[in-house]
Amino acid sequence: MSDVLSVQGLSVTVRDKTLVQDVDLTVGPGERVGLIGESGSGKSLTALSVIGLLPEDVHAAGSVRLAGVSHELIGADERRMSRVRGLQLAMVFQEPMTALNPTMRVGDQVAEAMLIHRTVPGRRSARLAATELLDRVGLAGAMKTYPHQLSGGQRQRIVVALALANDPALLICDEPTTALDVTVQAMILDLIMQGVAARESALLFITHDLAVVATICQRVLVMYGGRVVEAGPVGEVFTRPRHRYTQGLLAASDLESADARLPTIPGNVPAAGQFPSGCVFRTRCAHATELCAEVPPWEGTPAHGFACHHPAPAMEPTHA
Amino acid sequence: MPEPVIRVVDVTRDYPRPRTSLLKPAPTVHALRGVSLEVQAGERFGIVGESGCGKSTLLRIIAALDRATSGQVVVEGTDITRLPERRLKFLRENLQLVFQDPMSSLDPRMRVRDIIAEPLVVQGHPASGERVRELLDAVGLSPDAGDRYPHQFSGGQRQRISIARALAPRPRILIADEPVSALDVSVRAQVLNLISDLVDELNLTLVFVSHDLSIIKHVCDRVAVMNAGEIVETGPTGQVYATPTHPYTRRLVSAIPTLPRALAGATTSDLLRGAPE
Ligand SMILES: Nc1ncnc2c1ncn2[C@@H]1O[C@H](COP(=O)(O)OP(=O)(O)OP(=O)(O)O)[C@@H](O)[C@H]1O
Ligand SMILES: Nc1ncnc2c1ncn2[C@@H]1O[C@H](COP(=O)(O)OP(=O)(O)OP(=O)(O)O)[C@@H](O)[C@H]1O
Ligand SMILES: [Mg+2]
Ligand SMILES: [Mg+2]
Repeated sequence: MSDVLSVQGLSVTVRDKTLVQDVDLTVGPGERVGLIGESGSGKSLTALSVIGLLPEDVHAAGSVRLAGVSHELIGADERRMSRVRGLQLAMVFQEPMTALNPTMRVGDQVAEAMLIHRTVPGRRSARLAATELLDRVGLAGAMKTYPHQLSGGQRQRIVVALALANDPALLICDEPTTALDVTVQAMILDLIMQGVAARESALLFITHDLAVVATICQRVLVMYGGRVVEAGPVGEVFTRPRHRYTQGLLAASDLESADARLPTIPGNVPAAGQFPSGCVFRTRCAHATELCAEVPPWEGTPAHGFACHHPAPAMEPTHA
Repeated sequence: MPEPVIRVVDVTRDYPRPRTSLLKPAPTVHALRGVSLEVQAGERFGIVGESGCGKSTLLRIIAALDRATSGQVVVEGTDITRLPERRLKFLRENLQLVFQDPMSSLDPRMRVRDIIAEPLVVQGHPASGERVRELLDAVGLSPDAGDRYPHQFSGGQRQRISIARALAPRPRILIADEPVSALDVSVRAQVLNLISDLVDELNLTLVFVSHDLSIIKHVCDRVAVMNAGEIVETGPTGQVYATPTHPYTRRLVSAIPTLPRALAGATTSDLLRGAPE
């Protein structure tokens, strides 16, 4: 079966700065793929390119195709994109208020989302469907409330319900739980998992939390400096990382086995447009040599590989 | 037992909530409902709990930035519960705070060196350039960082700046309210190491608040678990994390996604296990 989402050679630029470069990414039907990386690595720009919501001065090039949509999404006009969004494709952002209308009752918003895309025959059935949907996210009583009367976690549950309202083929979540505490996060993550499972929707999940990705995704792509540096099945990448950046990230996030001091990656993530040429990680990498001034070629298959001149040995597990 | 550095006895804090109706009396939020705890000198004490459980309220009362409705707070042997501001000078010097969001707690129009020297100036001490450079160095920033403005730094660097500012008056107690919750994993590791090192080197007493018990476990010796304005469990962090006794703590622990558990097949339903339906 062909992929639900296929991104080929995606680059994102602003004026003379390249923010995202050469990103290849596919998500199969019903597949759950994670996109991880630190702040500024280009995760959100990648997602915004897919849904066609990049800011005015930011431009995407390359190819983005979605199953069931006959045209290329990059460069598609807003009229066509708005038809795709909310029907085949839905997105949940970190800040739920970006997706909610503060002056409209929650129930009306969910009903309207269904009406716009004509997935229900009329107002009455839209309201019924909305009640049902809110009930399923445990907020049956919230039909008549306004967004500001709800907590951050409750709002995000509504946004998840809205995003799933039209059974999208692909759901993209961009750090949907980063601002929430662990118990509320657990609830939202479960809601997303149950939602995509029931609809057989594919999921592209963006986060900087490795444990969250490992809990919900089957495959993961690691981004740094606007590039995908490693990709593969979660169990492989998180137990036998090959790219030195992935290795560093895993060590730094391991609160379980570290003793008093945590291993860290030296230095800071450079600002946009200030990453080195060649391997984007070489200025912070203990293994870098002159060779790393050249862009490392992708080793392996598109679905499972890495781009590093001095990778960690293949067999030795670094994360017991 | 020596006199604890911080002693909180049966503290409550009620906030009036804005009236929702002309007919009904204004409802009250019971943010703290009888909290007691003791922190010993040199201890690393953690407070964990969900959003809204009263963690920040408790910290503000310990720092005398807010007042208890009832109960008593004793810091370094002095009862501060009703002490007027003019008699809190010792507290303002000995106890310093670091907050979650470094951007909103740093004045964007001030240069970093002035931000760091501010607590000294407020207390009427001269702030030498030497001391500022020393503080920048202590938190791993280069001396020229002092000439720049907060927006020219990354999130992790800004948190270093707020830590440097907190250390300026040479406090004995450092209170950190979710200091790494807004940071990336690799930056989080750097800031946690920094706090750990400083607490050791400067012999600080640390009170560290987080909603994530796995972070508290890494930093603190002892932890108090808060739920809805009450402490439901206290103990050595390793023990509370491994064998939580209160149902609320169990729910809190099982909600933490960890790599080993995820790789062993834990699902989102497992995270919710222990949660009331
Ligand atoms: N409109 C813009 N103009 C210039 N630079 C931009 C613009 N939007 C984003 N950037 C820069 O592009 C880089 C990638 O941004 P992006 O938002 O994709 O990062 P991210 O991986 O989502 O990070 P975070 O985890 O902080 O959300 C960042 O360095 C960001 O500052
Ligand atoms: N100044 C105030 N006026 C009215 N209510 C307040 C005030 N400060 C806090 N509250 C309420 O008291 C309760 C406890 O709030 P507090 O900020 O202490 O929680 P917290 O545990 O720090 O949460 P978070 O993790 O979200 O920071 C909440 O219900 C909050 O709405
Ligand atoms: Mg982002
Ligand atoms: Mg708080």
